[in-house]
Amino acid sequence: MPKWLTEIRGRVPLGAAIALGVVPIVVMAGLWFWLTSGPVEERHVSPTILPSPAEVARSVPDLLKRDLWLNTWASLKRVSLGFLIGIAVAVPIGIFMGSFGSARAVFNPVMTASGYIPIATLVPLTMSWWGTDEKQKILFLAMAFGIYLLPLTVKAIDGVSEVYLRTAYTLGATKWQAIRRVLVPIALPDIWHGMRLAFGVGWTYLVLTEALVIVDGLGALVQMSQRRGPREHIYLVIVVITIVAWVFDLVWERIGQVLFPYKRRPA
Amino acid sequence: MTMPAPRPPPPAAPRGLKPPPVVEFRKVSVRFGAFTAVQDITFAIDDVPEKGEFITLVGPSGCGKSTILNMIAGLLKQTEGDVLVGGLPVEGPGRDRGMIFQQYSSFPHLTVLNNVLFGLEINAGELGMDAGARRDRAMQFVEHVGLRDHHHKYPHQLSGGQQQRVAIARSLAVMPRILLMDEPFSALDEPTRLEMQELIVALWHKVHPTVFCVTHSITEAVYLGERVWVMAAGPGQIVVDIRENIPPTVGVPPLVAQERQDFKDAVRVVTETFRKVSEKQFPAVR
Repeated sequence: MPKWLTEIRGRVPLGAAIALGVVPIVVMAGLWFWLTSGPVEERHVSPTILPSPAEVARSVPDLLKRDLWLNTWASLKRVSLGFLIGIAVAVPIGIFMGSFGSARAVFNPVMTASGYIPIATLVPLTMSWWGTDEKQKILFLAMAFGIYLLPLTVKAIDGVSEVYLRTAYTLGATKWQAIRRVLVPIALPDIWHGMRLAFGVGWTYLVLTEALVIVDGLGALVQMSQRRGPREHIYLVIVVITIVAWVFDLVWERIGQVLFPYKRRPA
Repeated sequence: MTMPAPRPPPPAAPRGLKPPPVVEFRKVSVRFGAFTAVQDITFAIDDVPEKGEFITLVGPSGCGKSTILNMIAGLLKQTEGDVLVGGLPVEGPGRDRGMIFQQYSSFPHLTVLNNVLFGLEINAGELGMDAGARRDRAMQFVEHVGLRDHHHKYPHQLSGGQQQRVAIARSLAVMPRILLMDEPFSALDEPTRLEMQELIVALWHKVHPTVFCVTHSITEAVYLGERVWVMAAGPGQIVVDIRENIPPTVGVPPLVAQERQDFKDAVRVVTETFRKVSEKQFPAVR
């Protein structure tokens, strides 16, 4: 038996890692085929609960006819706008909190408390504030992003070693120069990483708000498919969201590498 | 918290007379709660134009070597007494007092050249240098520390010794009157440390700031310094100022210097003193 199989923090060879990673996919696919094989009446699981792979594949053209791309675009626009607003509010406050103990004292209780708010409860709340139109969705997303990003930004500033600040001061830096030219740029790769995580989590919030007030967007597609069918589309939209979120994650990573060439990559 | 009694500022030196000392401590004490870090430190380093002294500080841990440096830098405020630089009380850090730390401090987001440029850029207004002059000055110091071929690299691409070279060039580029070094070579391996010792002595000879360097190595203290201060702990005091027996080492590599008899004698004197200080056989100087 190879040592890496049972060793704590063992280094698994690449080939073996790929093979191991394929196993659950094969098992799940096999299980899916097996559970949904045969004529509809004799299946282990009813097609309204779990459609067969072939049925899912056949429903793709239908999904496209349901304006999949327009709905994806609507969702993406919402996530991005909410994200930008969330950044515009949370990142400056976070930098301010990380830099000044007094600012931290002011905002810390609110930040800590907001971390415990179940984000889902903000959907009905924002609906009562802003109705059910686009504004509500975007501002809800902005709130969710802000709550997520604020502590990450503070932590990123905290993570900048004191020695850089002391060095800047002994070179004659003012407080403002120390923040702008030392604290923020050194923390920026970590803040960027936080944004990347937030953007990924953002899709969860998005579906939450789109599914509650059905207008358009991927969340609305999922919710309508659950109510009126076809159920196949639920699975397909989940796949679409996964792919879109994954692609954006790659884009975030690439841009990060270009923006921060000095960021040491994990070995 | 006890507030130190307000003191009148020291009288400015009359014109045409001897300039005020580069650094002067008058009965300086630092207390953290009940703990006294340093007590009644008094010294004055004369201002000799174009010629700064190189002072090394040794002593058992907890004797307040770094505390003295931090007070000169303006990063720490004394509890009692006066800390004067150029005759004026220290109110905070400034570019006239550069500091190099044991921890690597090269700004990770800037290349070697831009690290060295940092101090010149933030003081651009006061220095009255245009962009070209700043770049030339920075490049000159990058060359002084032997990083010409690495000037475009980021700190994470450098070795520990190279990172300290960046810190040295960056500090010297703004032409500080005083250079403070807090165990600058302690994290380096031995061959690199010897290289850096030779480099810093050569640069000091070229730029001539007044240097205060804390080290835990007596050999290093004797090689680098013109004066070696031996400090005692509990509370921290400067007890012996050794300046007669320290041989000059400018232009002499450390391994060569260490073989010389006068160097060996100096190391023995400092080591003896250090040992006696640790055993409390010395009353405080002054």
